[in-house]
Amino acid sequence: MKARIKSIRFTRFQTWLFILASLMVAGVIAAFVVFTQGLIVTNLSDLVPWGLWITIDLSSIALSAGAFLLCAAVYLLGLKRFQPVARTATFIGLIGYSMAVLTLLLDIGRPDRFWHALVFWNPHSVLWEVTMCVCLYLTVLAVEAAPIVGQAIWMQQRWPRLARRLESLHRFAPYLAVAGLLLSMLHQSSLGATFGVLKARPIWYRPGLSVLFIISAAAGGISFTTLISMLTARLSNKARVDDHLLERLAQIVGWILVGYLYFRFWDAFSMTYTYQPGRTEGLAVLTSGPLALNFWVGEIVVGALIPTVLLLNTRTRSKPTLRMLALGMVVIGLVAYRWDVTLAGQVVVMSYLPQSTATMYTHYFPSLIEILTGAGVVAYGLMAITLGVRYFNIVEHEEPEHETNIDKAYAAASAD
Amino acid sequence: MPDQAVDRRGFLKTIVAAVTTYLGVRWVKDASASSGPEGSSPHRWAMVIDQQACTGCGYCTLACRAHNDVPPWISWNTVVEAGEYGGETMYLARPCMHCDHPACVEVCMVGASYKRADGIVMMDYDKCIGCRYCEVACPYRARSFNWKAFTGPNPAVPEWGQPEVERRPRGVAEKCSFCYQRIDRGMALGLTPGVDPEATPACVVACPVGARIFGDLNDPDSKVSQMLKSIPSYRLREDLGTEPRVYYLHVRDQEVNA
Repeated sequence: MKARIKSIRFTRFQTWLFILASLMVAGVIAAFVVFTQGLIVTNLSDLVPWGLWITIDLSSIALSAGAFLLCAAVYLLGLKRFQPVARTATFIGLIGYSMAVLTLLLDIGRPDRFWHALVFWNPHSVLWEVTMCVCLYLTVLAVEAAPIVGQAIWMQQRWPRLARRLESLHRFAPYLAVAGLLLSMLHQSSLGATFGVLKARPIWYRPGLSVLFIISAAAGGISFTTLISMLTARLSNKARVDDHLLERLAQIVGWILVGYLYFRFWDAFSMTYTYQPGRTEGLAVLTSGPLALNFWVGEIVVGALIPTVLLLNTRTRSKPTLRMLALGMVVIGLVAYRWDVTLAGQVVVMSYLPQSTATMYTHYFPSLIEILTGAGVVAYGLMAITLGVRYFNIVEHEEPEHETNIDKAYAAASAD
Repeated sequence: MPDQAVDRRGFLKTIVAAVTTYLGVRWVKDASASSGPEGSSPHRWAMVIDQQACTGCGYCTLACRAHNDVPPWISWNTVVEAGEYGGETMYLARPCMHCDHPACVEVCMVGASYKRADGIVMMDYDKCIGCRYCEVACPYRARSFNWKAFTGPNPAVPEWGQPEVERRPRGVAEKCSFCYQRIDRGMALGLTPGVDPEATPACVVACPVGARIFGDLNDPDSKVSQMLKSIPSYRLREDLGTEPRVYYLHVRDQEVNA
């Protein structure tokens, strides 16, 4: 009986990997088309130069925000019990940021010049700051995730010395947490400022975007990590979770959502007071135009209101299914928000003619190639997380070993 | 003795670190300097476009395409209809505004968009990575992205002129440069931009009705300075504070009635 269940599970696992692998192959083929044919194969235009790929960038970075928050909670606030979740979040963060880098490579017109972003500096540009932070933080994440690789039993058996080396990097965890916190606070908010500083796009041009970006990233990032932990614990015998811990995190997400809704309300409400060319139209696109369904249902009701209720109510939160549903909704809401922000500023085309407040509208829907490459990148992320669960035990709340590790890290930090 | 050894090693390490840092900083500085403002300039180039004269023929767009080897699907200089006045359709030609506070330069993360000392907003096509942030940031839609490669002959050549600059590769953003190549070469030959056609932007030279005037704002006797002094002018989206260097002259009432 036991063996049979095991074999069924194994098949399901294989099917899952097969689906992901097929999507990845399709993505690689589509990416090949992008690199050979150029961006003409996208539905992007001079009026809407940023689209699906930017949304995937923004979303995968935001959903990785669990890493810096949980590492800060564990190593800076001393909430040691969240350490195993921080471990999961760090791995997810590493994968999320690598997804963003992959998508950016597709998105820039000259991927062969990606290194220009590191060598040629314009410190005045928000995107320069974002690039620097993302690169540095990717490095931080790689070092933070190294002990996870070193802790894998098969690593320790095959390459014991390397595994020990990697594991020993754990002693830097508190310092890495500080670096990660600083870098993430910078770029998670300045990704919003990337849009927020553009005078040419009135619906974007407001300071609130950076605040909303980091708060929504906090909610989405913790949600995603918690959701992945719960899902894998259900689907795989390689993952074990402390449900109490995850329930606590889910409650924190609920409170973050309250703060988010508060800022979001005033941000949107203040824009309704007077007519401002471009901004009012942009808001109308969201509330009653082509993005209305996405905005009201995706962002507000599904993305924020329902999960807030589900996660703050003890009865619903304690039910794993409802909790997972709520966390999934937050993730959907975050992606919907990033998509809406990206599009609302571009589909409203401002006139530069004198005495003209007439605004034009344009629209954008990604091409098949964009969708395939995007799906490929997402499949890569899910594949990496799946393999991480299986081979690196990234969702493991019951091993006492981490407790000693973290104590070692504390001891090392205080000794210095 | 061991202490000494450590000291020596530490000393060497410091030297290596210092040299590496110095070289690294110099490398980045040199790279950045390749397209930065080159000191100060006695000139401040500007363009005046007279809506009274413009008939919307579009010769400027075609001349621009030929001289700058712009593909037919891109217009560095576009002419749009701008309402009616006195029963006649008005036109507005829109090159790059060469803003004094250019949004594109501010946002470009690699510094591929930069402002020359004489005010020309330039593109370093060898630096551009094609992120299109400039395109999103420009309030005048003056920038175009090379979504595909431009191969084969340029249909605007030779009827409208000969290419004077290198064709841009696929994957970079491009825009009007005030025909910097004509200005620079003309100045080197002792010519005056705005007066001698060889040293003046191609669109200005091609305009059959003289609706475009080019010149140096720093020279009080230049035609642009004179015209801006005597005729009221406006610039596009002045509310944004970008301080464009392209000025427009309204239709003047008395002349319409005459």
